[in-house]
Amino acid sequence: MHAHDHDHPPELNRRDFLRLAGASVALAGLDGCSRMPAEHILPYVDSRPELTPGIGSYYATAMSVDGYATGLIVESHEGRPTKIEGNPAHPASLGAAGPIELASVLQLYDPDRGKSARVGSEQVQWERVAANLAPAALRSRVGGRGSGLHLLIEPTSSLLDEELLASVLTAHPDARIYMYSPMLGDGATDAAVQQYDIANADVIVAIDSDFLSTAPFHLRYARQFADNRRLARPTDAMNRLYVVESTFSSTGSAADHRFAVRPREVTTVLRWLLTSVINGDAKTEAPAWIAAIARDLRAHQGRSLVIVGDAQPASIRALGDAINDAIGASGKTTWYTTSPLVGHHVPVHKLADLVGAMDAREVDTLIVIGGNPSYATPRALGFSSLMRAVPNSGYLGLYENETARDARWFVPMSHYLERWGDARAYDGTVSIVQPLVNPLYRSIAPPELYATLAGTSNGGARSYDLLRASWTRRTSGDAETAWSDALQRGVTADAPMSRVAAPTTFPSDTNPFEGTAFEVIYLADPKIHDGSFANNGWLQELPAPLTQLTWGNAGLISPATAHRLNVSDGDIIKLSSGQRALELPALVVPGHADDTVSVHFGYGRTGSESAARDVGADAYALWPAVGARSEAITVTRTGAAQALALAQTQSTGAGRDPVHRATLDAYRASPSSVGQRSGRVLSLYPEAKPPDSNTALQWAMTIDLTTCIGCGACVVGCQSENNIPVIGASEVRNGRSMQWMHVERYFADNGADAAMQPMLCQHCENAPCEYVCPVGATVHSSDGLNEMVYNRCVGTRFCSNNCPYKVRHFNWFDYNKHLSETELMVKNPNVTVRERGVMEKCTFCVQRIREAEIAAGRDGRAPRGTDVQTACQQACPTNAIVFGSLTEPSSEMMRRRNQPRSFAALAELGTEPRVRYLARIRNANPEIHDSR
Amino acid sequence: MPALFPRWSNTVARGSLLAIVVIVCGVILGLMLWVRTSYATGQHASIAQPVPFDHRIHAHALQIDCRYCHATVEQTASAGVPPTAACVGCHNSVWLQSAPFAPVRASLSSLRPIAWQRVNALPDFVFFDHSIHVAKGVGCETCHGRVDRMARVEQAAPLSMGWCLSCHRNPTPNLRPRSEIVAMGWDAAHTSPADDSARIRLQHEYGVRSLTSCTTCHR
Repeated sequence: MHAHDHDHPPELNRRDFLRLAGASVALAGLDGCSRMPAEHILPYVDSRPELTPGIGSYYATAMSVDGYATGLIVESHEGRPTKIEGNPAHPASLGAAGPIELASVLQLYDPDRGKSARVGSEQVQWERVAANLAPAALRSRVGGRGSGLHLLIEPTSSLLDEELLASVLTAHPDARIYMYSPMLGDGATDAAVQQYDIANADVIVAIDSDFLSTAPFHLRYARQFADNRRLARPTDAMNRLYVVESTFSSTGSAADHRFAVRPREVTTVLRWLLTSVINGDAKTEAPAWIAAIARDLRAHQGRSLVIVGDAQPASIRALGDAINDAIGASGKTTWYTTSPLVGHHVPVHKLADLVGAMDAREVDTLIVIGGNPSYATPRALGFSSLMRAVPNSGYLGLYENETARDARWFVPMSHYLERWGDARAYDGTVSIVQPLVNPLYRSIAPPELYATLAGTSNGGARSYDLLRASWTRRTSGDAETAWSDALQRGVTADAPMSRVAAPTTFPSDTNPFEGTAFEVIYLADPKIHDGSFANNGWLQELPAPLTQLTWGNAGLISPATAHRLNVSDGDIIKLSSGQRALELPALVVPGHADDTVSVHFGYGRTGSESAARDVGADAYALWPAVGARSEAITVTRTGAAQALALAQTQSTGAGRDPVHRATLDAYRASPSSVGQRSGRVLSLYPEAKPPDSNTALQWAMTIDLTTCIGCGACVVGCQSENNIPVIGASEVRNGRSMQWMHVERYFADNGADAAMQPMLCQHCENAPCEYVCPVGATVHSSDGLNEMVYNRCVGTRFCSNNCPYKVRHFNWFDYNKHLSETELMVKNPNVTVRERGVMEKCTFCVQRIREAEIAAGRDGRAPRGTDVQTACQQACPTNAIVFGSLTEPSSEMMRRRNQPRSFAALAELGTEPRVRYLARIRNANPEIHDSR
Repeated sequence: MPALFPRWSNTVARGSLLAIVVIVCGVILGLMLWVRTSYATGQHASIAQPVPFDHRIHAHALQIDCRYCHATVEQTASAGVPPTAACVGCHNSVWLQSAPFAPVRASLSSLRPIAWQRVNALPDFVFFDHSIHVAKGVGCETCHGRVDRMARVEQAAPLSMGWCLSCHRNPTPNLRPRSEIVAMGWDAAHTSPADDSARIRLQHEYGVRSLTSCTTCHR
């Protein structure tokens, strides 16, 4: 016998291998037999009345995206924030939070954050930088009136910031302030913003507007929209949403009718709609569907609404205003108010003015506060090289990113969870931003920088003192009580922004680029927005709602366009216009507009954000100008291909009907045909045991697919609450996923309609996973939960094999091993952090259930089903998910479960799941026969 | 054909088969017994602490309520060990200067906690909640023994899952009125049949259930 050298390492022959194998079998059982390791108990030195170890504290604060605040309540354990939740009292949240807000807590602990200030390549203290920014020191550079001082800020609605910027201008009267973010563009300095009352709109037409998931007030709009679609009974009224768009957005998936048009056709559609609305039934060249929409709008005079997306130019939006005038929406379901963003008491200029000033060498000192203009501006502007040419450039930011590389000095910025400040919601509601933790690193907040520039502090001012002083100045009456009240509730009792007249812009007459072959449409990424959140693993791994794409972007095209170009998923296409070009993989999306490519911003990063490096392609390289929504391009195949990390590759139901759909008329005609089709299925297994009389509550969940918009907030909320790790792009490409909740997306067979189905462990009463586990690691509790016991699991993965819903996730590797010290702080202490080799799945937030039962037991009362909110239910902006007990027939969960349109997923398998879905009902307009 | 093996190899063959069975069963049995020894569970192990705190003086002689120091036992999962400031509340003059109190002084001056050695430890995958046990009428001494007679705190019970289940499967014999939670020696003094019926009444009054679902403790 000779050793098989090509099979084994040369030293290991068969005899040795067997010897080692035998020994390891013998030793394998022994590690369970050692004693408990010695542990310490480390109490505090002094007792703290506000902190009891083991009990979470909740504080109200607010997070701003593009300057507009969403009120939040943050759960904190032993002084570190672990979970973000919505603030029910805040108008922009109404208790819900979006994926960006929920994931922001991870960004606080990001190990790639800038940790110390730097001048050149030397690490310094902030005080040294501050000394050079004091007016006396700065005036020698920027002139006696400060004409060489230029500040570029992110859009902000902070009253404190505006006050301090005014004091900066007092110290440097000729200094200039610019406000820019890629998504707001020049609109950041608009004097007025448009408000919508979705609650009172029975017919809504959204044109190139993803208002349900990316507008500043989207959480509120989603709730208002869903509240008018609950369909508690088949005879209830239901609102109607028409969506006209070029890409496929979440709002498009929620629409009752969706029309895919090329970007250049948007103006024509609006013009036809306007003439149809004004001229009534007179003969028109408009297509039948536009005439039908116009009739519907007119029939709901005063209770209808046309929304034109913010990214459209003002001249196009003016057409929308004209339609709203004609249908009686102006003043009722839509109106304009003063913009909550700064710019009323302090003159704020556009980015183009700054670029002009840098070109003319008028800028001596440029300080960029937040944002990332070296990356997030059209590459053609050349901001990066212009900034490098500025003699004294500085950057206050979260990361040492592209802008920090171009700046001479860098100061790390405090995350919103570690700083004091204030912010306004889209409707002007003021909230205090209060920190949950002291700054983790030596960072400062923008108010501290402004106070230093204004000379009112020598670098030592704290944003808390600045805010208290500002608060006392602007609060009439008892400022102290108002302060405590504002902190506790998260909102202030301020008057809303005043209404103003609509801006007068003449509607455009010209049609952009007639007859060109292809167009590209530029979009904010639904997960990482404009790139600000690119280093957030939870957001990168969140499957994009319609494409299910993770860890990267792609050029979205329609099936017809793919056929025309002869490309399929992953083939790299090159988009070019003049000198600008962008190469990225193609992804086919049924229902996408033909001859159009959607690209999302935020990828292709090159800074210190390690998770974002080499992820996706940088669309800013192609972007022609600030605010450009679309342009004509040429598209060519490159012949190369790239594997896409898709979380779901099956795009249709394949005839298996996982989502029940119907039109409202069909539902009303025959309610029972829409819901559960089969009765209890014949099965070899005994019927599930009846609920234990020992247990009062039987947990169950109902998910309404009519109101689910596929935003993914439930996924991120679950990930945050249950310590779910990030597995990375290569694992996703292997077909693995770790998120316990996955929003499945099924295109209807003609590709025009997309239904979203949040899929989680169904907690089957006849669970296929339970009877195949060899070690009894997954068992059924007496209150109806399918329990996962991590300490018993040995990793045979038979349970996942048997699960028909594929909602079980295996820890193939130790995904938490390489987490930094700060990233470990985000873990929820009430949930086990799973190690390699165990299976995990949705537990119906059992930690919250037990906590509620224990709290009820302490109070001496019986626990109620309504005491518990699962993390997904809490995050959902539309209240599509409701959790409760089967033993409470009057609860919302039971009322929904008993609707005729309720069905169990894959009911024919006989698993008897505790999760029920409510069929997706479309309020179809009978005059419209097909959506394009 | 001559025999390849000598006759005694039959005995060896049969004997080794028997031996393998005996050894395998023996190893498994041995491991199961080992895990139940008090060495492995830590029961009755006397553990030295940085400060020689004597419960006989504080809990028995001075009759200080358990909850004065273990203050969060009725509110949260962990009963809590008192902060250094709690010691100083009483021992703020003579005792504070004594030699045994050196760790206390060090803690106060450095603002670092006193590193107590944990006696009653459960594995990390067990989520035990004190407050619900106290609320349902389980006394301190039921699980922790006569702490008021311990010079050094020992683990009075094996704290194995089997031991927890023995009560969870039948909690009634371990109940007492909520007013007697901290009373030491109460179990020994209440063993009559009348006390057993009183316990049954308490079980109904406090709504004590027999919880044996895994997620009761393992989440």
